[in-house]
Amino acid sequence: MFENVLSTMIFLPIVIGLAAMLIPFSSTTARRIGLIVSLVVLFFGIKVYLGFTGNGQLEFTETRSLIESVGIFYRIGVDGISLFVLLTGAALIPIVFVVVKDRPRAFYGSLLVTQGAMAGAICAADLVLFYAFWEVMLLPIFFMIGIYGGPNRKAATIKIMLYTVSGSLLMLAAIIYLGVAFHGQYGVWSFDTAGLAGLQLSDKAAALSFFAFMIAFAIKIPIFPLHTWLPDAYTEAPAAATFLLSAIMAKIGIYAVIRFIMPIFGPELVRYAMPLAWAAVIGLIYCGIAAIGQKDIKRLLAFSSASHMGILALGLFCLNIQALTGSIYQIMAHATSTGLLFLLIGIIEDRLQTREISDLGGIARQAPIFACFFAIALLASVGLPGTSGFIGEFLIIMGAIKFDTTLGVLAATTLIIGVCYMLWMFQRVFFEKGNDRTNGFADLSICETLAFLPVILLILFMGVFPQPFIARITPAAQSQIATVQGTGQISGQVALDHIQPQK
Amino acid sequence: MNCDIVFLLPLFIVTIGAILLMLLSAFESIRLEVASALSVGIFALAFLVQLVPIGLTDVLPFVSIFNGMLAVSDFTRIASMIIIACGLFTAMSAISYFRQNNFGSLEFFSLMTFAVSGMLLLTMAQELITVFIALETVSLSIYVLVGYNRRNVLSSEAVLKYLILGAFAGGFFAMGIALVYGALGDTGFAAIAASVSRDGLLHNPALAGGLLFILFALFFKVTVFPFHSWVVDVYDGAPIPVTGFMATALKTAIIAVLANVLLLAGDIRESWLDMLFYLTVLTLFAGNLIAIGQNSLKRMLAASGIVHTGYLLIALIAVSGDQFSGSVILYYLAAYAASTLGIFASLSYLSGTDEKRKEFNDFSGLAKVRPYSAAAITIFLLSMAGIPPTAGFMGKLYIIVTAYQGGHVILAVLGIVSSILSMWYYLRLIIAMYFHEADDLFETSGSRSAPVCAFILAICVLALSLYPVAI
Repeated sequence: MFENVLSTMIFLPIVIGLAAMLIPFSSTTARRIGLIVSLVVLFFGIKVYLGFTGNGQLEFTETRSLIESVGIFYRIGVDGISLFVLLTGAALIPIVFVVVKDRPRAFYGSLLVTQGAMAGAICAADLVLFYAFWEVMLLPIFFMIGIYGGPNRKAATIKIMLYTVSGSLLMLAAIIYLGVAFHGQYGVWSFDTAGLAGLQLSDKAAALSFFAFMIAFAIKIPIFPLHTWLPDAYTEAPAAATFLLSAIMAKIGIYAVIRFIMPIFGPELVRYAMPLAWAAVIGLIYCGIAAIGQKDIKRLLAFSSASHMGILALGLFCLNIQALTGSIYQIMAHATSTGLLFLLIGIIEDRLQTREISDLGGIARQAPIFACFFAIALLASVGLPGTSGFIGEFLIIMGAIKFDTTLGVLAATTLIIGVCYMLWMFQRVFFEKGNDRTNGFADLSICETLAFLPVILLILFMGVFPQPFIARITPAAQSQIATVQGTGQISGQVALDHIQPQK
Repeated sequence: MNCDIVFLLPLFIVTIGAILLMLLSAFESIRLEVASALSVGIFALAFLVQLVPIGLTDVLPFVSIFNGMLAVSDFTRIASMIIIACGLFTAMSAISYFRQNNFGSLEFFSLMTFAVSGMLLLTMAQELITVFIALETVSLSIYVLVGYNRRNVLSSEAVLKYLILGAFAGGFFAMGIALVYGALGDTGFAAIAASVSRDGLLHNPALAGGLLFILFALFFKVTVFPFHSWVVDVYDGAPIPVTGFMATALKTAIIAVLANVLLLAGDIRESWLDMLFYLTVLTLFAGNLIAIGQNSLKRMLAASGIVHTGYLLIALIAVSGDQFSGSVILYYLAAYAASTLGIFASLSYLSGTDEKRKEFNDFSGLAKVRPYSAAAITIFLLSMAGIPPTAGFMGKLYIIVTAYQGGHVILAVLGIVSSILSMWYYLRLIIAMYFHEADDLFETSGSRSAPVCAFILAICVLALSLYPVAI
């Protein structure tokens, strides 16, 4: 268990989660078990962080042969990019088990399975393994929305499922194609990311495979115009599922672009970066404007989350070190701020049975701690200097201006839309006059306060002292950008050398 | 010589068992459970004997007696194992079914065992007349099984449709044999292969025409696109265990024959590649379109069976004939058989008296009342839809890999697209089971055999996904 840290982080939650679904625990026991497991995972996450050297290679690797005849390996590891995505997940999920109460045990089981599968997708270095985790992490979410979601949950589940499955099956077609092409060129079966980077593909085949991958990831992120599943799914899902979707799964989409598309499809990414960046900015503006008009506070946040994912995506397509570093940094910043906001709104909904902005008001007087936490997460999400959101957005916009001035200026100026709808929403929900409903709003309990506090402190810490994170991210970002720019740099021989030791 | 008897032993065991069961059914005092247990025992024994490995190359057992009519290899061995396992699970789950549907009798198990013996012969046959005899053994038993519920109109309709069209296909097959014999003076696969590789297929119109007839007759049995029209009604009318048995065991046997015919000399496949390509694509999409429109679970599964035939055709087109091991095809068949049989085993006990539950809506809220059954069905459906970590996913993965390797990129991509379409109707049942409120108590007979089958098969579906296959 202590040797295979990453495997433990992946399979401990999955096994316990499945057990929680099958064995009739009481709901409270299941929640406590979930909390303990997620804390154990967090402990291992910290262990990985402390043992991480940042040499630009995969660390904590484990390789096992899974299906030797077609070169499918159980190969996992972390580098500077995946480490922070992994840690974000590990750090945030314990809060869910503290905050979300009185759900059936299957709900907590599903949460754990998702957590494990997401860790698997983040750590996987083999494309087929990645694909398997990528699909598995969605299944519990599907059930969570469908069983525990809001009134329109059926339509929302079908929408998210058909969208994501079509995307990922196209990606599967491309993954298998790459594996077969590798076998054709080198005579060895492999789906290893680093190995596939050495593949020489015809322009047409490469472009088609690139789009198959890109569409799958763009749906998950989501990038305009593939975002239409998001408002329904985020709104109908129970708070815990919305949290997982927005805080971690969407980030895995961003992460997957960096991890898989950048090394394998460098030239294609360079070629199509401009239209993709425009799509990201259009999404940023479009979802921002859509958010202003929302009456449902969760739907408003759903659009705001989609809008902010636009800026993260923009950071990917600028293809320079500043923007990419900003994107990776923003993965953490956005996950902490938006994730918290969704959980806090879950609490409002739990206690007041409404999400309509017009039904709310004056909460700040009743629940000062709650309002304070909400405000900090909200300000981080709009990128106020001094919070985590500022650093990431600043870096991305800097990179965007370097990439294309028009785009950069457009992205920078439209960020103000976010401030508009967020602050206006905050004013209507937390200030103004309270009503009968909101006057009974109870503040956060001590347990809940203690659960949220570390993340709130993290948001502030990341805002004023980003260096410890940036220092670990930059080398990884540099090496990814170098791979993209120096196209075809990885020769076939390097790819083969990478495969050989595994045999 | 010593080994020869071992190779044929499963066939003997099953045939003798079938005759024994038929004789036993003369005694009214014997209960259905006994007959079921006996047939399960026969299949288990045959399965164990079948575990003895043979090797990749064909072995002709008892050449002096059979004159090369039969050949065994690892391909036929594993196909036989799948067929025997299908028989075993059907015999087991049938008991739960007959507890709630009052038309069971001992002959049911005998006929099913006869059908299995025919299928075993079918996988080994290396000569057209043997194929024909085996095919008729299987068909006659299955005709009776399909119409087993004599009091049910749907069942009678099904058996008439199947009988008339099946007899027609049988006629095609006989016509094909006649043409091939007229062209070559021989009906052995070896002679056909020799002639085709010497002169090419199209130089001998009688041979080509005869083989085309034979191919169409086989396509009828596995429901390839223009020959699929019977399947939905027949599967709907047949008793649930029979439907499951037809969908899995019969398909495995016929695909094994098709593999033997199409691959005996690469040229046969090559000459008809365009036709096979279009038939495959049409089979995939026709199956999906039919399945999307169904409200009955049995009819949906029948239509989805057409789609799975399409995937098997992709593999048949794309596998290399030189060193044919057929592992990709067999793996897919095993994965498909496990998940399909699993669903039918679950339906055997969940459908209730006189199959009163068979629409999607009838299973609304199943997860609330019977969570384990719903979970098992979900595993089977995810496997059929090809979602990891199930056997169905690995099966599709292997087939797509094979298709790319054979240079059939379009088929691979269309296979994936069809998989996206199929999500719709598999998800529909999951949504009905989990996201709706239960308005039914799902009372069942209380027989444990079908639930046990479903449980074992669910484990098989998950365990098979880790079982590697050589490509």
